[in-house]
Amino acid sequence: MTSQRLLAMTFAVALIPAAAVAEDPIKIGYPMPLSGPASVYGVPIVKGAEMAVQEINAAGGVKGRKLELLTRDSKASADEAVRLARELIIKNGVDFLSGTLTSAEAPAVSTIAKENKIVFVAPTSKTIQLVSPKNLHPYIFRLASNTDIDGRTGASIIAKWKDVKRVATIAPDYAYGRDAVGAFVEFIKKARPDIEIVDQQWPKLGTADFTPFITAQMGKKPDAVFCDVFGGDFVTLAKQAAPLGYFKMINNRLVDGGEVGTTDAALALGKDYPYGIWSDTYDPVIWPENEPPAHKAYIEHLKTFTKQEYASGWAIMGYASILALKAGIEKAGSTKSEAVAKAMLGLSFDTPIGKLTFDAKTHETGMGEFWGQMVKDDRYPFAIMKNPTYLSQGPYTQ
Amino acid sequence: MTDLSFLFTQFLGGLTTAMFLFLIASGLSLVFGVMRVLNFAHGSFYMLGAYLAWQAVQWLSPLLESFWLAALFAALAVAVLGGLVERLLLRHMYGKEELYQLLLTYALVLILGDAAKAIWGTQQLSVSRPPILDGAIEMFGSVLPVYNLFIMLAGGAIAVVGWLILSRSSAGRMVRAAALDREMLGALGANVGALYTGMFMASSFLAGLSGALVTPIQSIVPGMDVEVIVEAFIVVVIGGLGSFWGTFWGSLIYGQVLSFGILIMPSFSLFSVFALMAVILIVRPWGLFGKPMR
Repeated sequence: MTSQRLLAMTFAVALIPAAAVAEDPIKIGYPMPLSGPASVYGVPIVKGAEMAVQEINAAGGVKGRKLELLTRDSKASADEAVRLARELIIKNGVDFLSGTLTSAEAPAVSTIAKENKIVFVAPTSKTIQLVSPKNLHPYIFRLASNTDIDGRTGASIIAKWKDVKRVATIAPDYAYGRDAVGAFVEFIKKARPDIEIVDQQWPKLGTADFTPFITAQMGKKPDAVFCDVFGGDFVTLAKQAAPLGYFKMINNRLVDGGEVGTTDAALALGKDYPYGIWSDTYDPVIWPENEPPAHKAYIEHLKTFTKQEYASGWAIMGYASILALKAGIEKAGSTKSEAVAKAMLGLSFDTPIGKLTFDAKTHETGMGEFWGQMVKDDRYPFAIMKNPTYLSQGPYTQ
Repeated sequence: MTDLSFLFTQFLGGLTTAMFLFLIASGLSLVFGVMRVLNFAHGSFYMLGAYLAWQAVQWLSPLLESFWLAALFAALAVAVLGGLVERLLLRHMYGKEELYQLLLTYALVLILGDAAKAIWGTQQLSVSRPPILDGAIEMFGSVLPVYNLFIMLAGGAIAVVGWLILSRSSAGRMVRAAALDREMLGALGANVGALYTGMFMASSFLAGLSGALVTPIQSIVPGMDVEVIVEAFIVVVIGGLGSFWGTFWGSLIYGQVLSFGILIMPSFSLFSVFALMAVILIVRPWGLFGKPMR
């Protein structure tokens, strides 16, 4: 017992100087999937965060202190993200937490943030559970859109297609897909009581062969589809569905709320992209008309920073997560999580895609996404979004 | 009439799924049947086949558009890798507890997964269909993409060729003998070591080939190795561990159960497949075409 206590005290003493030196960097713990299927998003998000840190430090840091990003591979697992968050707090003494990708990781890390009273900014998790009244606490903040916004916005687009009467849905079989489709169905029924939901498919995440799902759906003869299949799965679905005549049957009237409007998805599909469908993205990246100058500068820097010919549409979420913390620290005039958490309520900050504000009640930015039809453009070897339009919640805001 | 053609479409969908899985599972089944090695890394070989095919397409594209050459290159390269793995690593595990083999092949899953990530990054990649297999044909009122038809034929061809080699050739006789009694075959003067290396290379070739062949209709992403290995194992278990024909029928049953399961209860698309596996494991623990372990 005594030797254990002695050991604990030694550790505690060893930690004190690190916390006491004022010139120490402000540490931000960043668990994010960097391996496995989810790394498709995790890696560009971390790149965005790294770039923000680099820019801020080059300009003198925050309140004279540099930022330090401590990135860890969460493997998209809630358990691993929790373990890393604990380790980052206890061993590395991080001042803040951000990162996590999925709706499994973020709510789990949120409980750790609550326990340790450390501000946690979740950049991409969309589950409504994250900040539901039951789970809300002073230290959790969400940057991203949520599944309600996704489903409602999708519904507002389909509702405008007057001749559509038979609508089908297809989405991955887990919380994200189920919640978004649930919101979609609820709101399309309100907006267009004449529309009938004729079919609902739930392929699992990582489905290798969508053929039987697609043929089953085609059998129900829908006029339009709300889809939440995303990333690599959407690439697979699009390639298998096209020769079956799926997109032709619905006249390309498919609305996907899973960010297949990103350059990332468009690049992967190349000329196999189902031109004419509608989708969303956090960042249009390629913005042919009315591009804000701040966005242009951001994309140019991102391209050199990542040494990529075309920038990723996901990096913005990592980039903005760091900007949010910076704004919070500056407003609070302190790096104490308690003060920063209070300062972030109602806090507005500028990002390359526009101003975001953390709602003081919900702790969310209520961020929408850029929606638009994906079209062919001869200047690019892949599909781009026509007139990216920032849509949030649709006309059904509560 | 429309109803009948709809059911036929669904049947074709199931058949596509089945033949896909068979392409992958055949190599897995082959190695288990003869060498009693449960190769977890089979999915990783499949993934490498996909990445290598993509890479070869990129290399070749300034000169010629040849998906087939790329696929062949990928399959051969994976076969060579398989040969090295067998010679340098797996060989030391024969005769030891199966747990060691599992650990070794699982370690390979991790190593190859990270290696692929280091080389090709985490971006989703994809390859276009070869023009000759683009489009679709109509069959009894159902639309069948030409590439799916090609996959079905390829699966069927591998089944027939595999069966012919195993049952009719002298190499096949040796392989079957090795499955029954390895020591005795060695004592009779056969080069069991070379036979095993050959078998493992053939299995790796099949894995690499199937990985290359799915690239035109699937995205190439990190993690595709682990996704596929689970389904391949289900098929092999349903058919009977180590039975080549069992794997073939296992794939067909899996495809149809999934396909019609989706039609009947879309909310539980995977339930039907796992229920099938559970029932088969209870009734015939050795699978449909397997033999009870002695």
